[in-house]
Amino acid sequence: MTVAPALLLAGGAEGPSNVVEWFTDLENRASEAPIWENLWLTVWHSALATTIVVVLAVPTAVLLAHHRRGELVATWFVNIGRAIPTVTVLGLLVIASLRNGFGLEPWPIIIALVLLGLPPTFANTYAGVRGVDPSAVGAARAMGLTHGQIRRRIEVPLALPLIIAGIRTATVQIIATEPLAAFFGGEGLGAYLRAGLSRRDFVEVQAAALMVAVVAIGAELLLLLIGRLVTPKGVRIATHERRAARRPREGPITVAPST
Amino acid sequence: MRRRRWLVWGGIAVAVGALALWARARINGLSTETQATNPIVRWEWVFLREDTPSELWDATLQHLQLTLTAVAMGTVLAALLAAVALRFRWTFTPITAFTGFLYTIPSVALFGVLRSRYGSWVAALVALTSYTLLVLVRNIVAGIDGVPRSVTDAADGLGLGRVRRLLTVELPLALPVIVAGLRIATVTTVGLVGITAIIQLGGLGQLIFDGYNTDYTTKIVVGSALSIGLAVLLDLGFHRLEVLLTPWARRRSS
Repeated sequence: MTVAPALLLAGGAEGPSNVVEWFTDLENRASEAPIWENLWLTVWHSALATTIVVVLAVPTAVLLAHHRRGELVATWFVNIGRAIPTVTVLGLLVIASLRNGFGLEPWPIIIALVLLGLPPTFANTYAGVRGVDPSAVGAARAMGLTHGQIRRRIEVPLALPLIIAGIRTATVQIIATEPLAAFFGGEGLGAYLRAGLSRRDFVEVQAAALMVAVVAIGAELLLLLIGRLVTPKGVRIATHERRAARRPREGPITVAPST
Repeated sequence: MRRRRWLVWGGIAVAVGALALWARARINGLSTETQATNPIVRWEWVFLREDTPSELWDATLQHLQLTLTAVAMGTVLAALLAAVALRFRWTFTPITAFTGFLYTIPSVALFGVLRSRYGSWVAALVALTSYTLLVLVRNIVAGIDGVPRSVTDAADGLGLGRVRRLLTVELPLALPVIVAGLRIATVTTVGLVGITAIIQLGGLGQLIFDGYNTDYTTKIVVGSALSIGLAVLLDLGFHRLEVLLTPWARRRSS
């Protein structure tokens, strides 16, 4: 962490000699669009992809985990999803989309990012719901709650810390990968990165990296805050007590429950 | 269980065989007309072009080299960090926070920034290694924490020292969780190595980028297939390793 400022302030070949200058220098930038426009593009792509991921993965995982169904399929899906490189998906989708006249923006990029975000969200939600104390579910059933009520009122709130952690991982990965779209003809913050690397203008690379990192860390903090606000008080206290008992808060990261 | 595994392998074999037959049929049926269209995969590039096997082999080898070096370095570093975290409990939170912070740095950006100061290989390895740390540290610590208290008490009762208890009792019992972390780290790294193509490395990722830049989908498909295959193979390899290293788990389950 201490190396970062030194790295970022290092001089480049020509043009602006440090990152601060780069931000004010309007002449030497790769992309003609203003910075905020590219920034907005990155944020918007990431937000849309994350939303789609959450809408797709969380309900499915909760449903599957509640009924203890499809464990084998879920594990396979998560593992294969992790193994598929984003570069591939982007390349193929962009080419397919261009050839069929769908254009570049934004669907190929969004789909690639969604595929990237699905596995961590799905795995964490599944593991979270699976890990809910069976006695809590039993008690709820004894009180006459239906399956839907058990899912909504018992399992999801109790699994919430893990679910949010999964969404956080997915979001960070999505934001981290979005700049890759620029290498496949897109725009966004990656455009600076691509141009900087090809012209060996490393100040530009560093400035772009800084902006992407700020976006990623900002999103992470935002989700931490949302997680804190959304988690019911009882669950929070339980987590707190566990930490007080000096057990690690976060369990092992496993490839969904193994079969 | 045995029957299901047989079914899976049989299915894979049948699928591969069908694919090969189909590819052969495609090659034999090739004429100038079919070549003029723009198929997703040009099988003649894969099977008939002379340079293809060596190119693919080189790319795969580089991919494998980057992945394994990064994971090995990550494992050593993570083991050290985990040892510190286990010995001095209060360091656990800062260590996970730090590795979490490393994980937050966008990969594309990190490759770029490191490349601006160091060579491609150093940049790629530093970045890839730092991404493996989060999963590895967390899983090593969680695995060793998960060893039942009664077992460690028994080890103490037998008069084992702290180091011997760790090496001969806790580490073997924590192995499944540690290997689970290793598998995730490896599979993720295989995918990330593809991105190092933006700094002129990348193994199979380079193939994919080339394919995209020249609008030649064959290279993309072949590069991706090899990359996925590599991830699956490494995953299976680590699984095998785990089975071999924990014979007692097998004995108990059968």
